[in-house]
Amino acid sequence: MTSPPRSLKGEEVPAGQLTASEPGISAPAVIRKRFSLSRPVLNVGMIIIGVIFLLPLLWLILASLNPGADDTLSLPHPFSLQNYHLVIHAGAGAAITNSLYLAGVSTIIATAVSTMAGFMLARRKIRFKGVILVLVLFLTGLPVTLLLIPTYQIFVNLGWLNSKFYTSLVLASMSVPFSIWLLKNFIGQVPTEFEEAAAIEGASEISILFRIVIPLIIPGILVSAILTFINSWGSFLIPLVLDANPADTPGAVGIYQFMSANGQVQFGQLAAYSVLFSVPVIILYLISSRWLSGGFSFAGGVKG
Amino acid sequence: MTAVASAGPGDDIVVAEPRLRSWIRHAVTTTWLLPSAVLLIGLFIIPTIYAIYLGFTNLELLGQYAQNYSFTGTANLQRMVHDPTFWLSVKLTLIFVIGSGIVAQTVLGLALALLGQRVNVVVRASVGAIVILAWVLPEIAVAFVWYSFSQAGGTLSHLFGTPKSDLLSTAPMLVVCLANAWRGTAFSMLLLSAGLRNVPGEVDEAAQLEGAGYWRRLFTVTLPIMRPTLMINLLLITLATISDFTLIYAMTQGGPGNQTAILPVYMYIEAFQFNQLGYGTTIALTLVIIGAILSIAYIRQLRPELKDTVS
Amino acid sequence: MAKIALRRVTKSFGAKVAVDDLNLEIEDGEFVIVVGPSGCGKTTTLRMIAGFETPNKGTLHIGETLMNHVPPKDRNLAMVFQNYALFPHMSVERNLSFGLRIRHTSKKEISTQVHEIAEMLGIDGLLDRRPSQLSGGERQRVALGRALLRKPQAFLLDEPLSNLDAALRTQMRFELKRIHTQFPVTTVYVTHDQVEAMTMADRIVLMNGGEIQQVASPERLYAEPANVFAAGFIGSPKINLFSAQVDHSGGESTLRCLETAIPVTTEIADHLRAARSETVTVGIRPEDVVLRPATDHDPGRAAIAGIVEVIEPLGAETHIAVRVGDETITCRTPPRSGFELGSTINLSFDITQASIFDGTSGLRVC
Repeated sequence: MTSPPRSLKGEEVPAGQLTASEPGISAPAVIRKRFSLSRPVLNVGMIIIGVIFLLPLLWLILASLNPGADDTLSLPHPFSLQNYHLVIHAGAGAAITNSLYLAGVSTIIATAVSTMAGFMLARRKIRFKGVILVLVLFLTGLPVTLLLIPTYQIFVNLGWLNSKFYTSLVLASMSVPFSIWLLKNFIGQVPTEFEEAAAIEGASEISILFRIVIPLIIPGILVSAILTFINSWGSFLIPLVLDANPADTPGAVGIYQFMSANGQVQFGQLAAYSVLFSVPVIILYLISSRWLSGGFSFAGGVKG
Repeated sequence: MTAVASAGPGDDIVVAEPRLRSWIRHAVTTTWLLPSAVLLIGLFIIPTIYAIYLGFTNLELLGQYAQNYSFTGTANLQRMVHDPTFWLSVKLTLIFVIGSGIVAQTVLGLALALLGQRVNVVVRASVGAIVILAWVLPEIAVAFVWYSFSQAGGTLSHLFGTPKSDLLSTAPMLVVCLANAWRGTAFSMLLLSAGLRNVPGEVDEAAQLEGAGYWRRLFTVTLPIMRPTLMINLLLITLATISDFTLIYAMTQGGPGNQTAILPVYMYIEAFQFNQLGYGTTIALTLVIIGAILSIAYIRQLRPELKDTVS
Repeated sequence: MAKIALRRVTKSFGAKVAVDDLNLEIEDGEFVIVVGPSGCGKTTTLRMIAGFETPNKGTLHIGETLMNHVPPKDRNLAMVFQNYALFPHMSVERNLSFGLRIRHTSKKEISTQVHEIAEMLGIDGLLDRRPSQLSGGERQRVALGRALLRKPQAFLLDEPLSNLDAALRTQMRFELKRIHTQFPVTTVYVTHDQVEAMTMADRIVLMNGGEIQQVASPERLYAEPANVFAAGFIGSPKINLFSAQVDHSGGESTLRCLETAIPVTTEIADHLRAARSETVTVGIRPEDVVLRPATDHDPGRAAIAGIVEVIEPLGAETHIAVRVGDETITCRTPPRSGFELGSTINLSFDITQASIFDGTSGLRVC
């Protein structure tokens, strides 16, 4: 945050009034004419933006609690959880369980694989390391739209369609480039002195890995895992194309199908479905943002 | 005693590393890199190369060309160039990216970041939380909410003063752009807030002492200093928006007609609804190339600053 | 405890040669300080002894064993890092006992030893804390404790005091010396601070540009520096260095410098002739320069006239910078000597107390 302007004496001067009440300064006349917004106006402005952003969310929550919900923003007359019950029985429960599988498996695979690669890239001398890193960075920008059709075709030939596991594998590989990049940078920031100190104290490589390295990189691993999970959880196009088995339908595809299923859009139930589908992700985001802003400081281990 | 006399004339002594230890170290390094390599090569690089091939074939989803497809040279390219829907799709994609991405998200994000510097802490935290919540919501949920919002009788229609009209039919691109802007603003807000924090306070204060007003300071001091951050922001928004599928498809399926068929949606429709896997791949390749060109343009803009940080 | 010997050790990083053909033998139980400016190769040398870097050429022996490729964990050394490298996720107690736990020492034994060392270093109240909760001085002591506990064959210390404030640094210098007396283990200590080197070392290894400039006791290094670099590096305020022309013409050899000709003794003249030096650099310590008012001069010494440029009163003594022609000579004088800025003054010194270096090579002539 930029600090507010201070007069020569060091007192805070309200913005727009940096004028010559100090002896010795002659302020240009321009300043007095300047249009300046005072704090209350800015506050109100931001609040207005906030309220506009809030409207759709408000509708979602209210509609989910309103058995007779429609597409207007209205208070539910009977506040009830009926929509939630209905939609869970109509398949939301199964779909969210499938999402759990897809996101879970892909996260485990992607995180394990990326941590190992990231560690080696951060710590060891590797031939063509520069090329590999550029390649990985490049892959992070490659859109899934390109991979969709060829992957589909390959899966057709391998017989890997309609499988939750292979779909998870695809989701995992989509997150791997970014995870490798994230972990490589993160591990690179951990000073090597800890590993060196442990080595000179007599610890073997394995010992160093488990006693020193892993405890120190857990924040990075967790961030990477949470990001992968969130990405895989919301994935729509990949499961839509690669897994047509109705029993495997994940939440995102489930909501879409529910939208076009019955003749009349079931606003209330769909709202409940959406809320149920969103809650895990929101919780994970809250957890990880604590980690991110808490910072990865190795306080005390290293000076400063 | 002065400097220790050297050990005498003769050749340099080189002690070589024991071979076994060196070999074990290399083996471990390779083993740890292998799973990632397998995954990336198998599910990323090979499909990419295959895509480059498929884009020039007549592969179809079903029927005779599903098994016996063949290389058709530039047939797909020619078809694409003469395909009016393709060009419409390109235009829609650009509108979508520029309108909702660059203009809406960046401007809104910047406004929120700037406001955030000067408002009450509680206001900043709560509005920030709401905006971020819109971003964290899974894309399908966003699609559903905005779908409902813009129905006839929906809240958005009320706000626009046209309660009876189904906005998704009458102004589909507008609704879709609004939805995407709503969803994506938080990212810009966070990135640009961080960028603003990195602008040294002294520079702004020096400008104030020189007599520069707020807007002048913003445009001649603050924003130019933030250029790298702004460029990175634009780059990331562009890449994310240009290949966005779920939001639009779930809301409109590309319609009504083709009115919201941006390239990813068009690709899906051609590939999986009209069976044209080969042609769909051609469209996807074009999409990637457009994205690459834009990326290079942005990175070029970044280069002078990168040189400073690297030197 | 062991002897450490580096023979013809060279280490390069890419094109840069960090350590060049270095030969050094450290005796058992010695406290050796390797000192030099940044980039001189001292830390690289230490890291090679520790095992974090491998020499490209040459051999490293600890005791009788060739150690070039022995991994650090098998060298039985202990190291105190510049930033202490205390494991941030472990308590002080677990930090201290790390080495012992790796060796599967019994819990009881660990506890005894940890408490003993903690008490000796005055950190026994901190055993449950995390490093982030300690002050700089406390962290340093934990790092020391961790090293001491292992009873290694040598201690390596990498600028351990550089992150402490001045008062703490002085205190820790005493502590380290005291600990070394109690545990006379071979110690290799790296620093850029010549005060630490002078006050603590048995022998000083002075390095510059990857090469050893001189290895000597502090007294010897101070009184008889081997080259111009050594003379300039050690000693505060810095030694006075100025160039002079050697003149053997006439009966008496003289050095032409400071706008005058200084006669030299026959012994010095002989050294100069043997070294065939035509120009030399003369080094004279500030405390060896005598100042007298312009009207008064010491018979028997050449008096050089100069103008007082800067007076720095330090309390116990005063430093005076005197300008002679193009050169500035610094002198240490007792306080309240009464010299005034801008006044003309006579300075003189005994040429036999000076160090004379060859003008081209910089090496000591006498």
